[in-house]
Amino acid sequence: MSIPILRDETFIQEYEEAIKTPSQLADWQLFKQSYQIAETMKVPSFKDLVAPKFLPHLEFLPHQIKCAEKVIQHMNGKALLADEVGLGKTIEAGLILKEYMLRGLVQKVLILVPASLVNQWALELNQKFLIPTVTSGKRVDWQNTNILISTLDTAKSARHRQTILEQDYDFVIVDEAHKLKNHKTKNFHFVQQLSKKYCLLLTATPVQNKLTDIFNLISLLKPGYLGTYDDFIKQHREEKRKVDEDPYLKQLISKVMVRNRRADTGVHWTKREIETIWVPFTDQEMDTYHHVERFFKHNTAISAITYVREFCSSREACYLSIKKWVQQQDNVELPETNELLSSIEQLPHHAKALKLVELLKSSDEKFIVFTEYRATQIYLQWLLQQEKIPSVIYRGGFKKGKKDWMRQLFQHHAQVMIATEAAGEGINLQFCHRLINYDLPWNPMRLEQRIGRIHRFGQENDVKIYNFALKNTVDEHVMNLLYNKIHLFENVIGNLEQILSDLHLPNLEREVEQIFEESRSVGESKIKLNNLTSVIQSYQQADEAKENLL
Amino acid sequence: MITNLHNFLHQYFTIHDCEVLTENQTEMTIRLNRELDQVLMNRPFYWHYMDKIGRQGEPMSLYLDTSTENKDNNREWIHFGSPRLQQIFHHIKTNARFTILYEETDGDTKTALHPWLVTNIMVHYCGKQKKESVHSIGVQLINGVMKTDMMNHMDGLSMDRRMSDYSFTISPIIKPVSGFRRIFHYLENELLEEDMGWVKQSTDALNEEIQLLDYFFHQQEENKEILEKEQERLTERLQPRIEIEIINAGLFYLTEEASQLIIKD
Repeated sequence: MSIPILRDETFIQEYEEAIKTPSQLADWQLFKQSYQIAETMKVPSFKDLVAPKFLPHLEFLPHQIKCAEKVIQHMNGKALLADEVGLGKTIEAGLILKEYMLRGLVQKVLILVPASLVNQWALELNQKFLIPTVTSGKRVDWQNTNILISTLDTAKSARHRQTILEQDYDFVIVDEAHKLKNHKTKNFHFVQQLSKKYCLLLTATPVQNKLTDIFNLISLLKPGYLGTYDDFIKQHREEKRKVDEDPYLKQLISKVMVRNRRADTGVHWTKREIETIWVPFTDQEMDTYHHVERFFKHNTAISAITYVREFCSSREACYLSIKKWVQQQDNVELPETNELLSSIEQLPHHAKALKLVELLKSSDEKFIVFTEYRATQIYLQWLLQQEKIPSVIYRGGFKKGKKDWMRQLFQHHAQVMIATEAAGEGINLQFCHRLINYDLPWNPMRLEQRIGRIHRFGQENDVKIYNFALKNTVDEHVMNLLYNKIHLFENVIGNLEQILSDLHLPNLEREVEQIFEESRSVGESKIKLNNLTSVIQSYQQADEAKENLL
Repeated sequence: MITNLHNFLHQYFTIHDCEVLTENQTEMTIRLNRELDQVLMNRPFYWHYMDKIGRQGEPMSLYLDTSTENKDNNREWIHFGSPRLQQIFHHIKTNARFTILYEETDGDTKTALHPWLVTNIMVHYCGKQKKESVHSIGVQLINGVMKTDMMNHMDGLSMDRRMSDYSFTISPIIKPVSGFRRIFHYLENELLEEDMGWVKQSTDALNEEIQLLDYFFHQQEENKEILEKEQERLTERLQPRIEIEIINAGLFYLTEEASQLIIKD
């Protein structure tokens, strides 16, 4: 076996020069020290990780070390890290990056993360891994910065795109990589074009909708590994083969993907305890609820379900969107509309909101409250202020600094954080172990992301989750049929994503909405919803027996 | 190997004429001098300003904790991963690349000193993975005797940058440049004797990946550029090679006695 050997010729030239200038010559002790450093710092074997030795202040979990070893030794530094939410994908990525840097294989690094995570990545890499990073601000120097954290949107924008594509990166990390699942998007093309030696894609949901999601992600890492897109479609769709009936595919995927589940990590996870809090509407509220429902049922062009849902959250949410709807109608304001609006206006505090106040007052613990609507968020903030309960709000649209500040305020001063859905990704709130789903998302994945904010590695207490649901409303159907029946709260979601994709149910939320829209009676919608969950349920049972793809 | 980081640091600061103010098993307070302040404290503007206004300037002190665990004691925790130690290592490495040293002799008899070229070398094995090995090889520049493990052999010797009185050097017959060549040659022969399994593994992995890549893009004319770029980066990453890097090297003048002991060892 022949192998090129490169000699350090420049040293000889430098030596001949240096030897003429006594000031450049080292004394004996220093000469020895330099040799000792080399002996100490060398990477002695292809296999064992050296990074943990250099990070004595970090305690890695066994699955994190194993992940790093697997990626470096068997995957040659190109991998899909698909641990379930909260198992420390960032830690794994940091460890792998550090190891490559220590081995002298990586200098230039690009890390693409959602805007809400930029600061957190910088903080973790700096503090935990002692890796100095730069975040892409207004003035960003793509050429001369070694380790840069940016967002996909900034990077692919017309202003920066070309410059970035001209760089040769040693290492590229993309967090929340499910944004690359579609090979026809700009995101995908951009990442595909990046010049990269090593690459990590991080996502908790490698298969979000379709099996092609994972095909596309893997094709970014190792083009051709699963064949071409056409091959793949032919093989896995036309023949209608189920994923878990294809052990070959499963094995292939396992060579480029690390997926740890909570249950396999062997680490003690704190329990999650679920409590549903049933809240009755007052008679007046119930009347208005039906009023809204009737109003939009008559207006056949538009579905009532959106407004009814909003009404279950807060008067404000519903009121504002009805207003908006009215404005969009070109015709003059109808008396019926005004009547409806004024009946909403006259309502006292929302029953759920009052229940929330009651619950918060009965405890000294910190709570994070999730709502689907901004109007509800503002209303709750105002109400809590009236009740002298200190709270902060959190939205995805906040600037970086404001987010960090809100998180800190919550940790040190406030009892409650009221967050909208956008807060779902990214922030870690392990210091809090009470979560209230003030209203429920109709997509279970989003629910898991909410819970994942607090029920993750680092949480020391059992986590308690309260679900608010209004009796005799659409809330109740969704809670009973969608959530309770398929045990979504108890089971960490894991294989649900798989099931939904096998069932060709890419968007469960839309599915549920459609059921409500298309049903002519409550009974009909119940039956349909029941059918839907039965399918999922039977699939779940069958699934337990079989081994899973992922 | 650095077996005791605390002692290593103590030595480093003393070599650079810095005063160790207080010290116990795991803590060390050092008053830096201007030279090390400039190397370690990262405040060029301060020194620039002091020079401008013609003042001496006040070097800072370092408060280090060298224990294996991070404590909350207002000291800077220094360990093998810490940026401070990296900085110090870097300083040593860049300043200890070349030397000419003479073995110390006492007494008043004339002593001849024999020239040795001593090189410390790091070998980088680059393929699918990477590893490194360190070698210390010397060649006696009169008779061409080659010895490995030189640093250990010389560990107990007292060396100085100035020749002792009554000592005199014998001029090399082999030029240092040829000495380097001999050492490279020797080392390369040794390396080729080693197990080359990793070379094959890397080559196989490279070929396999390139095949997959070609297949994936075979019908996509529009993505030709991506294909080429990917091929290039794959080769860069997986093509096996060995790099020989010299950590430091110098001319060592040793007494006949020491030379003989080393050769026989």
